[in-house]
Amino acid sequence: MRDILRQNNADLLREIELLRERLEKAASAIPAELQSCHDWIISFCAQVQATARQNLADLNLGIDSILPYILSNTQVLTRHVRLFNQRLVGPILRARDSDRLCLKVLRWIHSSHSLTQHIPMALSDGDFASWPQLSWPTIYFMPPSAQHRLLYLPLFFHEFGHLLYACHEPEMDELVKALQSRIAQFLEPSAQRDDRHAQAEAKRRSVIVETWYEWTHELFCDAVGFQMGGPAYAYSFSMYFRALMRDQYHIRPEDLEHRDHPVTWLRIRLLADRARRMKFGADAEALEDTWSKIAATMGVVEDYYGFYIDKFLPSVQQTIDDMIVEAAPRSFEAHEVSTAELLRIESAPIRSSPVQLLNLAWRKFLQDESEYSAWEQKAIEGLLNDGT
Amino acid sequence: MSVQWLAVQSFQHNQELLAAINKISIHLRLQLEGNEDSERAGEVNTARELLSSFFRELETLVIVTERGEEVPVLGVNPRLRQLARSFVTAKRNSHRFHSSLFRKGVTCFQQLLNSDRREDRTAILESLEELRVLLEEHMHVDAERVLGEI
Repeated sequence: MRDILRQNNADLLREIELLRERLEKAASAIPAELQSCHDWIISFCAQVQATARQNLADLNLGIDSILPYILSNTQVLTRHVRLFNQRLVGPILRARDSDRLCLKVLRWIHSSHSLTQHIPMALSDGDFASWPQLSWPTIYFMPPSAQHRLLYLPLFFHEFGHLLYACHEPEMDELVKALQSRIAQFLEPSAQRDDRHAQAEAKRRSVIVETWYEWTHELFCDAVGFQMGGPAYAYSFSMYFRALMRDQYHIRPEDLEHRDHPVTWLRIRLLADRARRMKFGADAEALEDTWSKIAATMGVVEDYYGFYIDKFLPSVQQTIDDMIVEAAPRSFEAHEVSTAELLRIESAPIRSSPVQLLNLAWRKFLQDESEYSAWEQKAIEGLLNDGT
Repeated sequence: MSVQWLAVQSFQHNQELLAAINKISIHLRLQLEGNEDSERAGEVNTARELLSSFFRELETLVIVTERGEEVPVLGVNPRLRQLARSFVTAKRNSHRFHSSLFRKGVTCFQQLLNSDRREDRTAILESLEELRVLLEEHMHVDAERVLGEI
C-alpha cells in the first residue's frame, strides 16, 4: 500500500510541476483581466505540492496504521487537482484575445463591489452558470456563441448574484428562513386533522417550504440582475429562455418538488413586478405580454400547483428587497437605462460601467433587429479599444 | 442557467471536512504510536475548529430532521439538508454506524473531539472514520456533477 500511495503522490507532484511550468510560460500572453486568477493558480500549485510532499513524508514514517488516512488524503488531493485541471487551468492556458469582451465586463462586475473586487475570476465555455466559491476564483460559464455578442452579457449579473449570496451567506440564509416560515404559515390548514391524508398534506407543505430555499436564492439573483443591469437584464433573460421549451412555462407538480429553479414564467412575473415597482411599466408589460402570447400559442395555462400563490407575493417582494439591501449590488444609474437618453446616443463607451452599452444594445435590437448586427460589431470594437 | 454552484460548494465543503478529519486522525494515530507529532499541532487545532463549526450546524439540522418529513428544514441548502438526513438514517443503522458519534449524538461527540485524554483517542478515531464514510458517500453526487464520469 505504501508503494502505491508513493507512486500516486509522486505522480501528482510531477503533474503539478508540469502545469506550473506551462502556466509560468503562458504568463506574458494572458489578458490583464486574468492576471489575478493566474497568480492564484500558481500559489494553489504550491499548496498542492506541499500537501503531496506531506503525504510522502507521512509515508516515510513507516507506520501502517496511518495508511488509510494517507490514502484518503491522496484521494482528496487527486480530486482537487482534477477539478482544478478541468475548470481553472483551461481558461488561463487557452485564453484568447476574443475572451476580452466577457472578461472586461466580468472584471467590471467584480470591481463594482467591495467584497468581490479582489476575488479572481475566469471564463469558461458552457451554459450560463457560475462557481461562486469564496476560497477559489469564481468561474463564469457562457455559451461560446454568446461570448462575442452584447445581448446576453447581462446574464452575468445574475451569476454575480450567486457570488454576492456566498459573500453574505449567514445573513441571506436567515432572510430566506424567515420567508420559508411565512410561507409555511400561509400553507397551514385552518382545521387540523390527524389522519393519513393530513400527514401526506403536511409532507407536501414541507416540500413546498423547503423548495423555496433554492427558489428564493434564484429570485434574489434575478433581482441582482435587474438592480445592476436594468431592463437589459430582463430582456436578455426573457430572450434566452422564452423559445427554449414548454417546461419554461409549465412544470408538472411532482417535478416542482425540490426543483432548483422556479418555473421561468414565474420568474418573469416576478421580474416584471420588480420592473414595474422600479418605474419600468412599459418594459414589464412587454415582457409579460411576450410570455403570455407564447404560452397561449402552446396552449399552456399558468399553474404552479400551490408552490406559488398570489398571497406569497408581498412576503417574497419584501424578502428579496431585504436581500438586495444586505448584498448591496451596484445599482444602475438613471442615465444608463433611460430610453430617452439611450435613443439620443449612437454608442456608449464602457468608461465607468458597461450598463449603458448593454441597455443601448437592447434598445437598438428591439428597434430594428436587421440593423443590429452591424451596430453591435462596431460597438464591441469601440468597447475593446476604449482603453479602460 | 444551471445550478452547478450548489454541487461545487457542497463538493468543496466536503473536501475541506475530509482533509480536516484526516489531519486529526493521523495526529491521534501517531500519538497512539508514541509519536507526539507536535509540528502538526497548529494545523490540527484549525482542523478541530472546522469540524466543531460543522458539528454545531449539523446538530441543529439533525434535531429538526428527526422530527420527521412533515417538518421542513429551513434556511439550509438542499445538499446540507440531505447530509443531515443521511446522518439521521445512519444513526438508525447501528449495523454499519456504531461509533460514539452515531450512538451518542453530535453534542456528546463535540466534547469528546476536544478531549486530550489518551483513553478517548480510539473512540474519536472510530467516530471520525465513520463520519468519513458518510461524507464520502454523500459527496459522490456532487463529485459526479462537478467532475463527471470517465
